[in-house]
Amino acid sequence: MILKLAWRNLWRNRKRTVITSASVVFAVLLAIFLNSLKEGILVKMQENVVSFYSGAIQLHQDGYWDDQTINNTFEAAENLVDKMIAHENVISVVPRLESFALTASTDNSRGSLIISIDPEKERLITKIDQKIVVGDFIQKDDQAALITLGLANYLALDVGDTIVIIGQGYHGVSAAGKYPVKGIIDFASPQLNKSIVYLPLKEGQWLFGATDRLSALVLQVDNINDSEETAADLEQLAGAKYEVMNWSILLPELDQFIEGERAENVIFLFVLYLLISFGIFGTILMMTMERKFEFGVLVAIGMKKLKLSSVVVLENIFVSLMGAFVGTLVSIPLIAYFNAYPIKVTGELKEAYENYGFDPVFYFSIEPKIFYSQTLVVLIIALVLSIYPMLKINRLDAVEAMRD
Amino acid sequence: MLAVLAWKNIWRNKVRSGIVIASVALGLWAGSFIMAYVFGMMDQRLKDAIETEISHMQLHHPDYQEDNDPKFTISNSSQTMKSLADHPSVHTGAGRVLVLGMINSPTASVGAKLIGIDPEKENQLTKLEDFITEGEYLNAGDRNKIVIGEKLAKKLKIKLRSKVVLTFQDTNKDIVAGAFRVKGIYKSHNSALEGLNVYTQGKDLSKLLGDGSDYHEIAILLKEAKQLEDLQKELQLTYSDLTIESWKELSPELSMMIETMDQSMIIFLIVILVALSFGIINTMLMAVLERVREIGMLMAIGMNQIRLFGMISLETIFMVMIAAPFGLLLSYATIEYLGKYGLDLSSIYAEGYAQYGFKSMIYPELAFEYYIRIMGLVLVTAILSSIYPAITALRLNPVTAIRKI
Repeated sequence: MILKLAWRNLWRNRKRTVITSASVVFAVLLAIFLNSLKEGILVKMQENVVSFYSGAIQLHQDGYWDDQTINNTFEAAENLVDKMIAHENVISVVPRLESFALTASTDNSRGSLIISIDPEKERLITKIDQKIVVGDFIQKDDQAALITLGLANYLALDVGDTIVIIGQGYHGVSAAGKYPVKGIIDFASPQLNKSIVYLPLKEGQWLFGATDRLSALVLQVDNINDSEETAADLEQLAGAKYEVMNWSILLPELDQFIEGERAENVIFLFVLYLLISFGIFGTILMMTMERKFEFGVLVAIGMKKLKLSSVVVLENIFVSLMGAFVGTLVSIPLIAYFNAYPIKVTGELKEAYENYGFDPVFYFSIEPKIFYSQTLVVLIIALVLSIYPMLKINRLDAVEAMRD
Repeated sequence: MLAVLAWKNIWRNKVRSGIVIASVALGLWAGSFIMAYVFGMMDQRLKDAIETEISHMQLHHPDYQEDNDPKFTISNSSQTMKSLADHPSVHTGAGRVLVLGMINSPTASVGAKLIGIDPEKENQLTKLEDFITEGEYLNAGDRNKIVIGEKLAKKLKIKLRSKVVLTFQDTNKDIVAGAFRVKGIYKSHNSALEGLNVYTQGKDLSKLLGDGSDYHEIAILLKEAKQLEDLQKELQLTYSDLTIESWKELSPELSMMIETMDQSMIIFLIVILVALSFGIINTMLMAVLERVREIGMLMAIGMNQIRLFGMISLETIFMVMIAAPFGLLLSYATIEYLGKYGLDLSSIYAEGYAQYGFKSMIYPELAFEYYIRIMGLVLVTAILSSIYPAITALRLNPVTAIRKI
């Protein structure tokens, strides 16, 4: 009975119903928009930085991260890689062998990080081939090196010149080799630009006397938000001989930055919710005032106040649900649009992003969680606000109400 | 006449007007608060980075940043230092002797950046002493003492008063070594630096390097941040043989972050204004619908459409004008209060902060001109959003309107 009454009331005054639910629609829309933008920027930054430096997850020989020497490398068994790639969140597994050595030209020398890579696979995650400013990318079977711009300048090397690498290899064998420079890479970060040399994996393993040995398997994941769980799964799979680390351990500064940013965004959301609440409250308040006469009549002819309140609350539930539903529905194409055509950033920021090899845009996240969580929050706000007409009805004086 | 009517209309239904006035005031508050919050946040981050790490500007030998060879010193360091300290725009400055080398404990050896400082001046510049968690900070009389980061100490497996050996190449490219004792251990916001930077007396390092007492780096803090660019140009002219870089060049990541916040704030302001205008449109629409009978009556007795439109618009404008001072006062009060006592985020978002214990206090701040700008934006938004409800009122048919309850 009450349900029917509430439903009919809604359609008695369509305009009012539409306006009230429209306020919920807009509220849902804005909350989703803002959250999607905020998460989009952060997750994209996370992906950018992670793919730039470390990859989402790395697998090492147990103890490697604390003591990064070439003696802590491992021979990757065939089935280890298969096990990793079999996980649903893992897209690709990229091998690396990293070690420090002295790099030199005729006049100068500098300690550098020598990263031996599988060129084809590496290219797919770090897009390192796109950062080449002179020369070409290395191939799998090349006996040649890629060096960073800062190192090239310091050693006064150009493409075609020879770089000498001297260091210590696996279990103390001496590692010495000379390679023609095939390409020069420019990283935006001055730190990275200073001293990195890339070699093809096989060549690097030969140089350091570490045939088939790797210092890390770098895993690229499908959804970076789940990488922590994925890392935990893989740690189980890999066994005690290995350590599997999520990017938040590999790059604590980034994790710290992103968590801080999330915390600071909480205030933005509070302010938006406040504004939204007020918008919805405005319409609910007007509705209550407008129907004072009607409520007065109903109470006068004997309707229990409690019943009347439940009718009004039910109406509000209907209206809010409709609004939330429509709002979510409308937000999907809107966010999908911005996801496909992200907002372009301008000015200095555009330059900075481009220098780092990031797309100069603000992304929108289409994480499903955003849609339902924001809809839920707005729904709760709307329902809490419908306490107001309840209170008003409770204090209603029928005679006075009808006098208006 | 119309104005008087509109003014009286506002006070006829105080609750309805109250809602519109309050939502405009709230919109104003939200806009200015968010701006103040973002400015406060950026300021805090910049301050953290500049006042404890990078400083406003750093001077180096032109080849030093590229090469890090200890022979690239700033010639006439003490002279330069002195004239910089006397410059009216400079708040404080300190010179550093820098060497990249190895630090060796009995169990491990790790690459490190050895920083030779003048303890007193360095503390004025980067407040290093505040970051000491164990032991003590260096003082002028110390010989062969070092202060190292917690992270590095863990890697080397050493404690307070442990003995370590620093090895590096001197200016003649010969390997030199010196024994040092750990006097203090510090913790930094920046864990990368915590694992790398080792502080010691500048004199001790210079002696080992064997090349006078010139600095490799002079870092300065300005009295006012806005003098940055002018001073950089000026110094570049005076010291044409040195490279002078501001924090923007020294830390491109930092300026990227600031710019990101800046641009996302603009989008946020737009969202706030849209939220505000929907609030106003909805409330005013309800108000117009509620007054259907009254408006129908006015039309029936001959009020023309232009006047009716004018009346409703004027009502909105008046309400907005009433709201503006309240909103501004509220914003000003909130911002000033929080600007003084700070907004503690750790109580709102414990998870993120508990993990890392970095600074969670934010002090919002807003310059006067931004209040004016926000007010302008909010007023325009409010007035624009009153147009649609007013048009709805015009579309009413007097006869059916009067008939309606």
